Amino acid sequence: MGAVSYPDKKVVDFVAKNMIPVQVRFDEQPIASDFNLRWTPTIITLDMEGKEHHRTVGFLPPEELIPSLLLGIGKAHFDNNEFKEAIESFDKILSGFPGSHSSPEAVYLRGVSIYKETHDTRGLKEACETLQSKYPGSEWAKRASPYNLL
Amino acid sequence: MGIEWKNSLKDAIPDAKAQKKPILLDFFNPG
Repeated sequence: MGAVSYPDKKVVDFVAKNMIPVQVRFDEQPIASDFNLRWTPTIITLDMEGKEHHRTVGFLPPEELIPSLLLGIGKAHFDNNEFKEAIESFDKILSGFPGSHSSPEAVYLRGVSIYKETHDTRGLKEACETLQSKYPGSEWAKRASPYNLL
Repeated sequence: MGIEWKNSLKDAIPDAKAQKKPILLDFFNPG
């Protein structure tokens, strides 16, 4: 990460604009134990209170790191019932990084966020249809499959 | 210029609250 993804200008600009970055050694205590660290690189998205909402383990190239961070930001909003903001983050993944590995989960959580915000089941059905057409092999297509019956 | 990392979560939380931004926490192995 330190040699490839973190020096990338798009990553630098994204982090500067959207996040507060903290970097600690894998063996620093008590934080490593607090977050149950087992391997590096581990990248965790926390909300502004310091609560975890998303983590990835292993190298991510820049074109996967940015959407993964957007997914974390979206999940932090989602978990805090900030569904409009969550949808904005998921939309950025789907417009800017549609081929990324974060996209299927973003489609799923976008649909759930729309449902939570509007109580309209069309958000769930549309998520299911999008996943089956664009990401048919993803686990999120399977998870959304019951919404096809709505 | 690269990412301007903080080295403590305690330092980051007040900035996160003030700027209303989430925190990126990276654990690394210096090798």
